[in-house]
Amino acid sequence: MSFKKEPCRNFQRGHCRFGEACRYLHVTQQQPKSNVFGFGTQTGLSQQKKSNPLGFGTQTGSHQQQKSNPFGFGVQSSSHPKAGTDFVSKQNQSKLFQNTWTRSTSTPTGVAPQKSDNETQAANHKCTDPEACRRQIVEDFESERPLWKLTCYGHSKNAPCDIVGDISYEELRAAAYDDAKHGLNFQSIVERERNLLSSKLVEFDNLLRKPYAVPPGRSSSQTPFSGARPNSFPLTAQNSAPPLVSSFNQLGASQNLGLGISQSSNTFGTNNMPHRSEGTIIEGFLLCTLVGAFALLLMISYGRCI
Amino acid sequence: MPAPFTVSQLISGSNFEAKFPLSLSLSHGFGVSGGLSLSLSLSLSNLLVVVVSEVPMSAFGTPTAPNPNPNKSFEVAQPPSDSVSSLSFSPKANYLVATSWDNQVRCWEIMHSGAVVGSTPKASISHDQPVLCSTWKDDGTTVFSGGCDKQAKMWPLSGGQPMTVAMHDAPIKEIAWIPEMNLLVTGSWDKTLKYWDTRQSNPVHTQQLPDRCYALTVRHPLMVVGTADRNLIVFNLQNPQTEFKRITSPLKYQTRCVTAFPDQQGFLVGSIEGRVGVHHLDDSQQSKNFTFKCHRDGNEIYSVNSLNFHPVHHTFATAGSDGAFNFWDKDSKQRLKAMARCSQPIPCSTFNNDGSLFAYSSCYDWSKGAENHNPATAKSHIFLHLPQESEVKSKPRNTTGRK
Repeated sequence: MSFKKEPCRNFQRGHCRFGEACRYLHVTQQQPKSNVFGFGTQTGLSQQKKSNPLGFGTQTGSHQQQKSNPFGFGVQSSSHPKAGTDFVSKQNQSKLFQNTWTRSTSTPTGVAPQKSDNETQAANHKCTDPEACRRQIVEDFESERPLWKLTCYGHSKNAPCDIVGDISYEELRAAAYDDAKHGLNFQSIVERERNLLSSKLVEFDNLLRKPYAVPPGRSSSQTPFSGARPNSFPLTAQNSAPPLVSSFNQLGASQNLGLGISQSSNTFGTNNMPHRSEGTIIEGFLLCTLVGAFALLLMISYGRCI
Repeated sequence: MPAPFTVSQLISGSNFEAKFPLSLSLSHGFGVSGGLSLSLSLSLSNLLVVVVSEVPMSAFGTPTAPNPNPNKSFEVAQPPSDSVSSLSFSPKANYLVATSWDNQVRCWEIMHSGAVVGSTPKASISHDQPVLCSTWKDDGTTVFSGGCDKQAKMWPLSGGQPMTVAMHDAPIKEIAWIPEMNLLVTGSWDKTLKYWDTRQSNPVHTQQLPDRCYALTVRHPLMVVGTADRNLIVFNLQNPQTEFKRITSPLKYQTRCVTAFPDQQGFLVGSIEGRVGVHHLDDSQQSKNFTFKCHRDGNEIYSVNSLNFHPVHHTFATAGSDGAFNFWDKDSKQRLKAMARCSQPIPCSTFNNDGSLFAYSSCYDWSKGAENHNPATAKSHIFLHLPQESEVKSKPRNTTGRK
């Protein structure tokens, strides 16, 4: 009987009610634990990675490869006192015998992870019900508004952000210290921070008003507007120029702001563009009415689809 | 009539708790409306409260000046003159390193015997700009630090000049030493992770991140990086050029800190919304994932700034912007101990190598912006707490266990 060889899932979780009479093997999960490789995977050589059995992050040239080092990484050359080649050969061996840490749909860079996340993660939120999303957003904003406002936000856990453009405490502080060093007085620093804050608050307000105008857009064919739904990952990855943290304006107008929103609002125009120029509320309002028209269209066609 | 900004400076000069009425208005709009005039009138009305509360014995019955050290922790001698950005104990001995916004990296020797704790300042080095992160080499001989000067320095404590060993295009937010690879890894706001062999000037490998690095944790071979916009990237350090997994944070707001489980089965993630997520990496254990709320005070939601596992008991501590630190057990899903709130936020904390000391700093973390920072009166403290067994040892739940 094949299943006798299989470990019992419940036992490993600590609560199998069959006990000895169980059809599956009651082994404690020591093996995977002590051997981190056993980590949720397979066995053997089912390597979906695009690399060779030597595994070790290798070549194919296109990787950021500074040195022509066949092992690709960290294990330089004889100059390395300890661990050098021993480490590598050990790794190679383990790659051959155990499929360490491969996932079934692993691709190294960002595009696919969303799909694999769909499979691997428990809570998959597909935003099929805009009303529920809206309620979630309203509830979040009423009861769970953190004190720090310069943040990204996602209404569903494990789903990409609805509002992008994170600024952390240290970034703000570093920018303030930098400004102070360059002679800016305290008042203007405070003013700049306030402007950042107000544009961020407007973004949150807009989300509240038009919550389902920004579906995170995971799986295909949820709505007819599937064209406007690239993942947020490649978008942010395209943002290759690292934003300098030396001045506030760059922080506030970081490309993340524009890009992140445009992921889903291609059909709606870029809601938040005006806020780059420390936006006035009025401009935002005008755009909102425009957006409202589009939203109406969306709702109608959405209704038709259902 | 003092000029507006000096008034607000005076206000912000008062301690954390007394700013409460003012901060309420600030948190509502952070000065968005009308700006100065509103805050000015509020400031004036608060001036009275502030002045009164500065005096310990108050006739008004307003709360006396909040205690900066309500937990009666030992205070480290000669703390930094500006906020502390990171704390790090040596893996081999009781040496504590603190990096600060005053550009210095300081080292103290901590003497600990029984219930008696003492500290002696030992040495310090400086950077050109605020220092954000620090870590020790596994043999306890060298300290690495990095910060806004976009460089990381290697400081051999036994003497010898600090040397620059890493460079980025933007400030270095996180740094870690990986003994199994003999490499230093640095995470920066330039959206890259770089691995360094300290003897070479070029990084051994540069890893692109989807966004700026905000948090990093390493427990070989598990490494988790938290970036802006709620990305969490897991790496298998045996194959560091490939992202093992990229997930979106289970929390809804900005990621603040991550730490890996001691058994590398998963990690904890803390955010600015007073919540911590417990995440397991293995698919079959996804049902054990959960999040819990912490560091909240009524409607005020503070951020979780630091997560640290106890090296022996594998329970963990959280420290937040509300000035409190708590001890938790993720397996029994309980809070083991809630400590009293300090008057200032706690931006960073750490256990020592055997868990007998818990160091935390009490200083302004910028959680309320520049306007609440008064360099003239701001005080930074570093405290040492002796964790009791009852605080850090796991307790079984009273409800029926499984087996």
